[in-house]
Amino acid sequence: MIYLDNGATSLHKPQAVHRAVANALQRCANPGRGGHPASLEASRQVYACREEASKLFRCPAERIVMTTNCTHGLNIAINSLIPPDSRVVISGFEHNAVTRPLHARQVKIRVAGRRLFDWADTLESFEQALKSGADAAVFTHVSNVFGYILPVEQMAALCRHYGVPFILDAAQSAGVLPVNMEDLGAAYIAMPGHKGLLGPQGTGLLLCGRNPKPVLFGGTGSESFSQSMPAYLPDQLEAGTLNVPGIAGLAAGLHYIQDRGTENIFRQEHRAMARAAADLHALGFRPFTGEHQAATVSFVPEMDSEEAAQILAKQGVAVRAGLHCAPLAHESAGTLETGTVRISFGHDANPSQNAHFRRALTKIIPSGR
Amino acid sequence: MKQSYITFRSVTFAQKAERILKRAGMDCTMQRTPKELSQRGCGYCLGLRPGQVIRAAELLDAEKVDYGKLYAVSLEGKYEEIHV
Repeated sequence: MIYLDNGATSLHKPQAVHRAVANALQRCANPGRGGHPASLEASRQVYACREEASKLFRCPAERIVMTTNCTHGLNIAINSLIPPDSRVVISGFEHNAVTRPLHARQVKIRVAGRRLFDWADTLESFEQALKSGADAAVFTHVSNVFGYILPVEQMAALCRHYGVPFILDAAQSAGVLPVNMEDLGAAYIAMPGHKGLLGPQGTGLLLCGRNPKPVLFGGTGSESFSQSMPAYLPDQLEAGTLNVPGIAGLAAGLHYIQDRGTENIFRQEHRAMARAAADLHALGFRPFTGEHQAATVSFVPEMDSEEAAQILAKQGVAVRAGLHCAPLAHESAGTLETGTVRISFGHDANPSQNAHFRRALTKIIPSGR
Repeated sequence: MKQSYITFRSVTFAQKAERILKRAGMDCTMQRTPKELSQRGCGYCLGLRPGQVIRAAELLDAEKVDYGKLYAVSLEGKYEEIHV
């Protein structure tokens, strides 16, 4: 199978990730709970992951919280930073992982910047929204549907200028684009461990620039006499037993990425995406492409997008179709009714994947065309 | 004195400290905090040779690592807090 659904999760992990998970399953007990070697080893594995993440994202290790996925991190961040009735600015390309928690908080949402791949529009609309009064901003680094890379450094600078705290959703960028907590000055940055960071599913990271509120309460292995959660990170947000095998795998993924270099991974993935977009054009499809694009490309086929994805799957190509949990992004691009077929490349992108994809594409060209 | 300890509120800080001290060439061992030293219940500490604890505290201060208290254990097994 040619796997081109890395926007959902990276399927092909480095061998080091497999080994780290297996090793942790054999050797690690509950971290932070005991003084015996198996518990201490588990704690070391978890701390090693924090250290790897600390180097990559320039965030102190103890301010990196282990989550179960990006959505988990975003929920903590939104719950901590944004009280009900706040005025919140978001981009026109947000995932439901951002919009649903905001709706649940009953905040006043202002959508800023709806034009795909248009930094001028994004920045102008965003600044206008901040100027007119905002309590917080939440924005994605890369659109999960279209691969649009938003100008997050400039958006962060605008937030700092207007004194508006912000949350960055790095679901599609962590591991392939620079994400620097120190430079951005975010209140929180949430990311999954299982996509670009190449860890197992059930892992995620929340980088905390502020003091958050816990959403889970329970044992932490610290301050056990107290019936309140510890008031310091990471214990404050890490109630219950951590997913140590997953975290050990994530540490291996982070190490692999730093070894290869995010720029090199991005270059390889981007080359494959550009080839796929060119093939789509050549075969008469109209992919959404632009200057600021990551390794994801979407198009609207001349049939139901789910049906097209099914045909591609029968040809051995795994892609995703539909709304990709991001109706707002589709509304912005005018594809809410049709959805899109999304192709997203990963760290193992190579020309043979492109060749296979091109052959499979010929099967979804309508017979009358 | 036969041993000294630095206590920490959580395992994460104990690990951070362990890495820093080991990088500085100090011999230390992470372990659960003895009950007598754990005022709030459950925690981790680093066990060090008695002559190293002040130097260790200086290193942790320089790296802004959050630690609790410093203790020495006498030959009779009594814990005594060390004030820097």
